[in-house]
Amino acid sequence: MDRRSAIRNLAFVMGSAALLPYCTPGKPTAHFTHFDVNLDQQNLVADLAETIIPKTTSPGARDLELDKFVWLMVDDCAKKDEQEAFFKGLGEFNDLVKKSYNKNFSDCTKDEKATLLNTFEKKPSQKNLTPTDEKYSKELRGFYGTVHWLTVFGYTESKYFMTREIVWELVPGRYNAYFPVKNLKAAKNG
Amino acid sequence: MSTNTYDAIVIGSGISGGWAAKELTQKGLKTILLERGRDIEHVKDYVNATKGPWEFPHRGGRTVQMEKDYPVLKRDYPLNETNLDYWVDEKESPYTEVKRFDWFRGYHVGGRSLMWGRQSYRWHDTDFEANLKDGIGVDWPIRYKDLAPWYDYVEGFAGISGNHDNVPILPNGNFMPPMDMNCVEKDVAARINSHYKGSRYMIIGRTANITKPLPGRTNCQYRNKCWLGCPFGAYFSTQSSTLPAARATGNLTLRPWSIVTRILYDKDTKKAKGVEVLDAQNNQTYQYFAKIVFVNASTLNSAWVLMNSATDIWPDGLGSSSGELGHNLMDHHLGVGAGGLVEGYDDKYYFGRRANGIYIPRFRNLNGEKRDYIRGFGYQGGAGREEWGRAIPEFSIGGDFKDALTEPGAWNMGIGGFGETLPYHENRAFLDKTKKDKWGLPVLAIDATIKENEKKMRVDMANDAKEMLELAGVKNVQVYTSEAVLGRGIHEMGTARMGRDPKTSVLNEWNQVWDAKNVFVTDGAAMASTACQNPSLTYMAMTARAANHAVEELKKGNL
Repeated sequence: MDRRSAIRNLAFVMGSAALLPYCTPGKPTAHFTHFDVNLDQQNLVADLAETIIPKTTSPGARDLELDKFVWLMVDDCAKKDEQEAFFKGLGEFNDLVKKSYNKNFSDCTKDEKATLLNTFEKKPSQKNLTPTDEKYSKELRGFYGTVHWLTVFGYTESKYFMTREIVWELVPGRYNAYFPVKNLKAAKNG
Repeated sequence: MSTNTYDAIVIGSGISGGWAAKELTQKGLKTILLERGRDIEHVKDYVNATKGPWEFPHRGGRTVQMEKDYPVLKRDYPLNETNLDYWVDEKESPYTEVKRFDWFRGYHVGGRSLMWGRQSYRWHDTDFEANLKDGIGVDWPIRYKDLAPWYDYVEGFAGISGNHDNVPILPNGNFMPPMDMNCVEKDVAARINSHYKGSRYMIIGRTANITKPLPGRTNCQYRNKCWLGCPFGAYFSTQSSTLPAARATGNLTLRPWSIVTRILYDKDTKKAKGVEVLDAQNNQTYQYFAKIVFVNASTLNSAWVLMNSATDIWPDGLGSSSGELGHNLMDHHLGVGAGGLVEGYDDKYYFGRRANGIYIPRFRNLNGEKRDYIRGFGYQGGAGREEWGRAIPEFSIGGDFKDALTEPGAWNMGIGGFGETLPYHENRAFLDKTKKDKWGLPVLAIDATIKENEKKMRVDMANDAKEMLELAGVKNVQVYTSEAVLGRGIHEMGTARMGRDPKTSVLNEWNQVWDAKNVFVTDGAAMASTACQNPSLTYMAMTARAANHAVEELKKGNL
């Protein structure tokens, strides 16, 4: 543990010495090991996550702080070039929103947000490149794809989801090889 | 008598070393068990075993820093956030890859018995006779009948759950009740079994997870978190099983942080008199003396200990007189299989997380069949329902999508092959004296690769997987093949093979080093061929048999 935290501290010192090329102007409001993030960027990711996993009768991405999980994962698990691509894609996403609605994503209505994100959606039958894939750059698709999967990953592996939405037990204690799906629903609601 | 004198020394505390310690102490021998790494205490030190998935900062994933720190481990599934401390520090203990060899090591009490896959299959006479029939390597000096009672014995103690499937090539065992197949597996198995009419079978995996309690151990709780260490002691490990049994005798001394640097050979008696230990913490050297030495440091490290035990009589190491020490390194080759979707079971699911899958025993080159390669392969796999991951490629959003994430996804079924690798003299490990580890010891260089026989086998491994799944009704079957890399099977074998002739083998039929009869090597190093079954059960049986022989010989005054 000591060794690892030592390495982490070292990485922090080295990371903060480097300037990130794709940071948009704005005062950094969050410091990560490998980059700083400004308020606009924080809001964008949080709004994206909330649009993907919205608050309904159950908690949404903001309630579960899934945006923080997205940033942590990008900080710790993405390589330098992937982080650079992420920020480049983030910038392009902002451009796309401006072009579409002439305002920031955060200022868009729910419907505007959903309409825009739905242009990224693929049906299971769409295995190959779609017109969207050609229209949007690799970095843009990569940025949104990263935010999307990390939001969903963070949600489905959250304590809330695993203890309240599905019946995940630390100690199942048994293996029932013929468990009807309807029982799963009963257990979930009960 | 010096306080450093024991009846027996065991080098290494993994699966086979734990068995050696248990058997020798239970037979009354004062035994010191030497482990190069730290201690991991049963239950208490399984620090991540009772955490929920959400308690891991990266939810079990791997960080860039981890990939930097573990350049070998990252090559396959073992690198993850949840049991990082169970894997060797690669900076402290490097090795040289003449050719790529994925060496996944655990340097601590229990060794890889803490992280092993637990699949446990007996060998068959077909396997023991193969080298002789094919004129490959050397003939095994033992046959199934020599090991059969020891298989019974170790299965009973370790606790192997399995079904009496009566598969001719795969002997039944002394089993606890089997785990269940889920509904899809059961139907796929029925179709395979009926289609091939006794020439191919799909069975539930035989696993060292207990389905009934044993003394000090609770039956499997279906957590599927075995690789974190089991707080219930539900799978066989040194910690859960052999170590407590050895301790209960009062005859055991466990010494962690003890790197055995060499076996001390006495040229007058032509036997080993003990070992030299480098204390990994204080860097002091100690000597321990005993009547017998069991070498169970794992295949490659057992070879290292023997090779590093050079004397003027044996300049290439203890056991080197045949010229085979370090040679004939083998593994199982894998990374070939198939998988697809299963339709029609949408109302069915399963509850609990079964730490086991299905097994398809070897069926090639049996009953007179002759492919363009020799030997064979088996498959492991299973069926399950997709979970949240299915949603990722679709980029869906919103409240309905959020609700849908709670529903189980499509059923799929996959199998992957484990193929036999032949013993090639030129596949070897040797001391690289130009490179030193943290303690200034020479490291191991590994130079091994698969050859034509394995490559041809991999064609069948892919095609047969597809064929069987398709005829069993699996849809959209996709075949995967990857480059064969030795080591990746984590079934290293060879380097100090048993044989009938001291000129061509390192060990005799009782796992005794020909050149020093009171030294026994009973881990994977002893293997003269690999078969295609997971090997650990055979190491257990071989170790118990050798320990019994060692004690009998001691009593007779032969050692």
